Amino acid sequence: MKTITVTVNGVAYEETVPERMLLVDFLREQLVLTGTHVGCTYEGVCGACTIHLDGEAVKSCLMLAVQADGHSITTIEGLAADELTPLQQAFIDNHGLQCGFCTAGVLMNMSEFLEKNPNPSDDDIRHGLIGNLCRCTGYVHIVKAVRAAAAVGQ
Amino acid sequence: MFPARIREYHRPSSIAEALSVIARENVGEAIFLAGGQSAMQAIKSRMLQPDCIVDLQAVDEIRGIRQADGALEIGAMTRYVDIAENGALDGPFAALRDAASRVGDRQVRNRGTIGGSMCWNYVASCMPTAVLGLGGVCHLVSLKGERSVPADDFFQGPLTTAREDGELLSAIRFAAPAKRSGSAYRKWGLVTDSLPVVGVCVNVSLDGGGRCTAVRVSLTGLPDGAQRSTSAEEALLNSNCEPEVLRSAMNAAADNVDAQSDDSASADYRRQLIRTLGAEVAQLAVDRAKH
Repeated sequence: MKTITVTVNGVAYEETVPERMLLVDFLREQLVLTGTHVGCTYEGVCGACTIHLDGEAVKSCLMLAVQADGHSITTIEGLAADELTPLQQAFIDNHGLQCGFCTAGVLMNMSEFLEKNPNPSDDDIRHGLIGNLCRCTGYVHIVKAVRAAAAVGQ
Repeated sequence: MFPARIREYHRPSSIAEALSVIARENVGEAIFLAGGQSAMQAIKSRMLQPDCIVDLQAVDEIRGIRQADGALEIGAMTRYVDIAENGALDGPFAALRDAASRVGDRQVRNRGTIGGSMCWNYVASCMPTAVLGLGGVCHLVSLKGERSVPADDFFQGPLTTAREDGELLSAIRFAAPAKRSGSAYRKWGLVTDSLPVVGVCVNVSLDGGGRCTAVRVSLTGLPDGAQRSTSAEEALLNSNCEPEVLRSAMNAAADNVDAQSDDSASADYRRQLIRTLGAEVAQLAVDRAKH
């Protein structure tokens, strides 16, 4: 067991975890932040567990919790302050989600993507979405939502 | 898909500390962890069951891209995203950006590293092939000292490299290229940016008249992993690099490889990919060498 200090959504936590615990399981089971999803069997292929690690989108099933020691994490629960972000609102307005299972990961990836690419083409958006699987809407509405968010400055 | 028990986790902050930490562990029970985008998969599937993980994330001295007098050094812990977004890596070094910008997806590129990919040396992977095509030299450090191993000797087949237990890949160095040099890498996979069914890297230097004075061609997606194609290189060297020469060189490459049939593609299709994708890559490398 190892004691780690992480800041998650602005809150500092000191927690003791087994060395082999995955970061996604730490977030979901130990901190009970269940908005970060597990869509594949932890194989790192679906992107539903995407979070921000020090502001960058990474898959939390491809990291151990101990690797996050000393780092700052944002999960879907911490994306919006009081009101939804323009990106979140754009997903509602453009039917960017259906079952919603992949949405948390898509939003965490695309929020960082838009910071780096404020004026993306549709091709840029689609290329940016490769690491996120959606199995119900298809991607047309997701791309449309991201484009709409870019138009209003995220 | 959950890791086996891990007894110890270390996070050294220097090469010296990393080497001394891993030296305390039993051979084969401790691993260096770079970005972990391949290794964590293997750890979760229990193909790897390390007793001890030595995480290199805080070893800042092996991270970063440095260029001086035309030569290039890339720290082993440099991430794909940092290579992909480095505008100075053009012309002779453009194959590195071609490869790094299409590895996996942006989440993977935000964390995966060139050194991790090279030390893992998966049978079908982009960075080893680009480094081999560019003739990189791997700088290895251990408690016994330092040594430099050319990429040709470093990559020894799938999941096998010249790196020994307790040895750390610190950087990859590329000599200053000749004046008119260009490189390119492209892959074809089952879905966009997936693992290469076939990947091709071409690296050429031309004289003022457009004649090829030096060339390296490397391939991936074949049973032996990243490898050079001497038949393509022989066909290109001293040629005028006109399109029909490029095509016939890549035809020669396709005719002389040991290709396999599997769920992704037949051996014939792999050879066809080497012909067509290879000719496009060679043309792009030649075009870059001329600019």
